[in-house]
Amino acid sequence: MSPLTLLTMAFTLMLGTTITLMSTHWLLAWMGLEINTLAIIPLMIKQNHPRAVEATTKYFLIQATAATTLLFAATTNAWLTGAWEISQVMHPLPTIIITMALSLKMGLAPMHSWLPDVMQGLELKVGLVLATWQKLAPFSLLCQIPNSNFTILLGLTSIILGGWGGLNQTQLRKIMAYSSIAHLGWMLLVMQLLPSLSLMTLLVYIIMTFSLFNIFMINKTTNINSLSTSSMKVPVLTTLTPLILLSLGGLPPLTGFLPKWLILQEMIKQNFFMTATMAALSALLSLYFYLRLSYNMTFTIAPNTSTNTLSWRLNNKNIILPTATSMTMTLLMLPLLPLAAMPLF
Amino acid sequence: MSIMMCLSLVLLILGLAFVASNPPPYFTALGLVLVAGVGCLALAILSGPFFSLILFWIYLGGMMVVFGYSAALIAEPFPESLGSGYVLGLMISYMCLVFFTAAMVLHFYDGPLHLLGEISSFNMVQKDAWGVALMYLCGGVLLVLGALVLLLALFVVFKLTWGMSFSVLRPV
Repeated sequence: MSPLTLLTMAFTLMLGTTITLMSTHWLLAWMGLEINTLAIIPLMIKQNHPRAVEATTKYFLIQATAATTLLFAATTNAWLTGAWEISQVMHPLPTIIITMALSLKMGLAPMHSWLPDVMQGLELKVGLVLATWQKLAPFSLLCQIPNSNFTILLGLTSIILGGWGGLNQTQLRKIMAYSSIAHLGWMLLVMQLLPSLSLMTLLVYIIMTFSLFNIFMINKTTNINSLSTSSMKVPVLTTLTPLILLSLGGLPPLTGFLPKWLILQEMIKQNFFMTATMAALSALLSLYFYLRLSYNMTFTIAPNTSTNTLSWRLNNKNIILPTATSMTMTLLMLPLLPLAAMPLF
Repeated sequence: MSIMMCLSLVLLILGLAFVASNPPPYFTALGLVLVAGVGCLALAILSGPFFSLILFWIYLGGMMVVFGYSAALIAEPFPESLGSGYVLGLMISYMCLVFFTAAMVLHFYDGPLHLLGEISSFNMVQKDAWGVALMYLCGGVLLVLGALVLLLALFVVFKLTWGMSFSVLRPV
């Protein structure tokens, strides 16, 4: 792909999300989502092998369906109530249809099965964009419509199915897709109770996923087997990676614990005891496959001299500074939690 | 006029069921043209003749491309549409589904579809022409943005189809 095309498409990708974030009108929001879909398609199909083509076709069909459903719901809302604004969806029928369409776009649990399959066909960079940047626009729309407890149901199913689906996978990109589904479930769980907390969960998820995808990119691995040789390639990164994975799983001294902690606290405050318990227990499923990754990556290596020779290391051309920054944030941001309570923002 | 409306809606549903029940591509394209035609007829009766005209032209243009493409791609010597048991069975099952849904709607909202009640064939003001005028008056930025999206779609299609031997579209 020529750099000019790449630049145009990346710029348009940003433009689409920005349009959706800025819009108050359903038509503009829909248009932004369509720009997003159209702009990422050339990036997805860049390698031109059949698997990428298949993934792109699936992605396009799913996103087009979701966008059409969204437009249908918006026009239904305008027909029923005469209002086109995003925050004015009051009738239950368009609300439900819009929620379903947006969760199909994001890949939430009952509509999630396209996400691992699409992610498996992409290269890691585009997979990272799909797992993080593409969630922003539907997320903001979902935050703005007044919704009921329906999102809590969606969130709970996403956490459970995201954990279950990732259990038997050996492919890293599929595992990352299921991890994305589970984390989106946590965001949806608290979206109606405290939207700012949901946004913070999204930010923390983006940071954690960014560092993990970068590690995979530096290792050039896409399955668990080849992950086990990574201590020969990048020793220091390999020692830190289990911590990143545990942070994604949400263990206490790491950043990933922060959203889960606050979400559980908020749900208990608002008397959702059973839901909070089920969510916390289902997080163990996700934790299991993160643990399996870290087991294969580091815990199987005996702490003595390796019989292998170290592989030849050239000057690393990968993105080092962003990786270092995001990894530090993934590991050490929990003590910054009191900042969230300060009236800085 | 009410009879025309009824007829077009019934034909719309029949055509959609026919398209959905996997006939060969020639007949599918024909069914789509039928659906587009009666859909535009319904829209025109519901006091939107300008929109229905535009939609009909654009849709027919697209359908010609689809028909040509599918006719060139599919080599089926003996296409049969409703004669085959498969297509007929699917169509009958889809129609059963439609009747079930219609019965549910009638049951829950107890009344006919109120599309039929809104027909006034003696409109002095064309609502759609008024809306188009308003769109060109106030929605300038939005129109430019829409044109930009179409341009982007064109570039995406160029990018996808560019390159004969290594790209997405290639001779098999």
